[in-house]
Amino acid sequence: MTASGEFAEFLPAYLAEVDELLASAQKDLLAVEEAVRRGAAQPRAVRELFRAVHTLKGLSAMVDVEPIVALAHWMEASLRLADQAGGRLPEASVEPLVEGLRAIEQRVRQLGAGKPASPAPVGLLERLEALGPQVLESAPRRTRAVALDVEAAFASRLTPSEREQLEGGLSGDQRAVRLDFVPSAERAAKGLTINTVRERVAKLSDIVKVLPLSGAAAAGASLAFALLLVTRAEDAALLEAVGGPPATVRSLAAAALEEAEPVASVAALASGGVDTPAPPLALDDALNDEPEARRGGGLLRVEVSRLDEAMEWLAALVVNRSRLTRAVAALTQAGAPTRELVAILQENGRQLRDLRSAILRLRMVRVGDVLERLPLLVRGLRRTTGKAVRLELDVGDAELDKAVADRLLPALVHLVRNAVDHALELPEERQALGKPPEGLVRLTSHARAGGQLEITLRDDGRGVDAKAVAKAANAPVPESVDALLDLLCRPGLSTRQEATRTSGRGMGMDIVRRIVVEQLGGELRMETRKGAGTTFSLRVPLTVTLLDAIVFECAGLKYAVAVGTVEELIDVGSVVRPAGVDGVGLVERRGAAVPLVSLARLLDPAARRAPSEADAGPTRECKALIVRQRGEPVAFAVDRLLGQQEIVLRPLEDPLVRVPGVAGATDLGDGRPTLVLDLGALGAAHLGRRGRKPRAGEWVS
Amino acid sequence: MSVLHVLFKVDGTEYAMPAADVVQMESFTGATPVPGAPAHVAGLVQVRGRVVPVVDARARFGLPAGTPSLDWRVVVGQLGERTVGLLVDSAREVLKLDPRTIQPPPPMVVEGAKGFVKAVAQVGPRLVMLIDFPRVVGEEAADVDGQG
Repeated sequence: MTASGEFAEFLPAYLAEVDELLASAQKDLLAVEEAVRRGAAQPRAVRELFRAVHTLKGLSAMVDVEPIVALAHWMEASLRLADQAGGRLPEASVEPLVEGLRAIEQRVRQLGAGKPASPAPVGLLERLEALGPQVLESAPRRTRAVALDVEAAFASRLTPSEREQLEGGLSGDQRAVRLDFVPSAERAAKGLTINTVRERVAKLSDIVKVLPLSGAAAAGASLAFALLLVTRAEDAALLEAVGGPPATVRSLAAAALEEAEPVASVAALASGGVDTPAPPLALDDALNDEPEARRGGGLLRVEVSRLDEAMEWLAALVVNRSRLTRAVAALTQAGAPTRELVAILQENGRQLRDLRSAILRLRMVRVGDVLERLPLLVRGLRRTTGKAVRLELDVGDAELDKAVADRLLPALVHLVRNAVDHALELPEERQALGKPPEGLVRLTSHARAGGQLEITLRDDGRGVDAKAVAKAANAPVPESVDALLDLLCRPGLSTRQEATRTSGRGMGMDIVRRIVVEQLGGELRMETRKGAGTTFSLRVPLTVTLLDAIVFECAGLKYAVAVGTVEELIDVGSVVRPAGVDGVGLVERRGAAVPLVSLARLLDPAARRAPSEADAGPTRECKALIVRQRGEPVAFAVDRLLGQQEIVLRPLEDPLVRVPGVAGATDLGDGRPTLVLDLGALGAAHLGRRGRKPRAGEWVS
Repeated sequence: MSVLHVLFKVDGTEYAMPAADVVQMESFTGATPVPGAPAHVAGLVQVRGRVVPVVDARARFGLPAGTPSLDWRVVVGQLGERTVGLLVDSAREVLKLDPRTIQPPPPMVVEGAKGFVKAVAQVGPRLVMLIDFPRVVGEEAADVDGQG
């Protein structure tokens, strides 16, 4: 096979890049050879070499130069092992690697001369292939004296490579520990959620895996997370990072064998002589670390539809995998020998996750890039309105999905325009009020827990005049700020220009709400003070494609919700039913009363209309999911929890089915769509209208 | 020139739409209901990996609900970017309709059918209603639909 025909146009770029890679690979191989001669490990050079060969293989595969792919493949395989062994190569392995590199170089030259690459020498390929076992043999025995505490580490849920990482942590000069984090409302209020915890812990350690726990494994709590780490940090520091008890730290070294440590330290010392051996898990991260540097800072413009296509295929793979998992489980139950199948499945799962995150990263754009148009907008507004405005952007470096960004931008444009057009006063007016003549519009954004992006837009203008809005909407003056926002977001309001001018706001707010709440499944809130200004807070998901979900059953149907949105899972014991609050119960949670609503009634209008059933409310002994709705916890009663799994979220694009509270649909492998609910939005959409006379279709708006 | 049409039945009446607008036909084994969707939306079905909303023709035409049967079909139609299914009692025939046999519907039908029928074709002794698929499917988002 040759790099000809359809790939010819890529050849110049390929040759340029491959040249660089070959040069650096040669340099690294020399350093490795030097180290091997001294009998030392050279982890850095081995890793660099691995990376170079890895990239070479990938690039060559893209332009279809099979001989180079084959050569690079076997070199890469042995180098990967050497890297995992702390950067150690047996002396005999250097020669085949040198020859391999030379063979690659020859073929690159042939391509450069317009000739086809000659096939890889079979003898050399065989020698390179044999390198892997040699590397393994010569690697310092990773002593099993330090064994993984299988139970504590949930070994059955680890992939072989994750297990290896942890064991590597145990036998090196680091520790492998399990840190259990128990989320709670109080902690969330302090900004401690699994996502912030992840970030904080990542600063102290390498996180190998995060496992959500529920039921018995969560030790009393209804939801907990076990973080499996390789770290040098002290227990106290780790505990601190997750907010102290009830978080716990435990070593993953199997108790009985912990004494037999010396062997391990010797091995660690031996390999750590020259350069500290980095834990093997750093390898893949390192590869992902600096894609720009690797690709020479190149940027590639790709049509989003092509990425979507790749996502579609990935989605099909994920679905297929969950079917496969079930089939294997059935086999296992029937007593078939499935050990190997299970191992392959786990590996397959890891590969899928990697592929997924690779594709997702392709789709991510920086928030800053999304917002770069706003300063221009404000400059234009300054001219048309005659107002003095300063726009402050503080957007951090969060990234969000292209699809979300595309939808979000119009909403932000609306809000910024409103702020300048309506909220800010003219300079003279401001001075008369004792304000600086120049108005301030400040936009901040940062990534939040649960894969959410929070954006706030604050102005120091006149604030929303509730009375004027009420008059314009021909409605009573709203009592709360939420009610005021509801009024502002009423569709008809925007058409009344006069009212809009006096109220200071209202222009297109229905569109903003529609985008944020209905299209993106996010949240829109407002604070306003007369004369002092208005702040809008938006919360939108960073990505809308794949998520970890809790799957449950309610009224005979399966549903899924994003794990990130669920604060807690509880068993509903006794329910208090206050009089006059139709169908809403109260449950006690850590000393506070939390409203409990029956999800079945929310979902099925027929049940809501039938008064007899309405009285029944949530049945006893059910489960409930606690979700924040407008900042307040609400428990949603469901019939049965079915488990947790990764799902592919398909947004519902068709106007017929784009309803609030439904984030999208997913396929659990049974061939029919399962709704993915956004309980917070669902509750807000339905319960928020409680008590008023229902208008046809109103409860969904 | 004769145009190929897909024929289907709803409550004993025969309807047709151009085959070019039909992506495929699926048997119906139930749809996932969507809370808050308009009343004439039966729910979601999965067609070749895509999630497609299904409009219940009986509900849309204001007819009584039928008894589920193995004959029920989802006629999956393409509407520009949108893919929407129409749940019908049965769909068995594909026919070429001669434009000369197609007449505008009598005014009474126009009124009664809320504009869902845009023409009537004569096929031998049978009368076939040509539906206005975009209209039948509708665009109403859940929150503006009066029937919800």
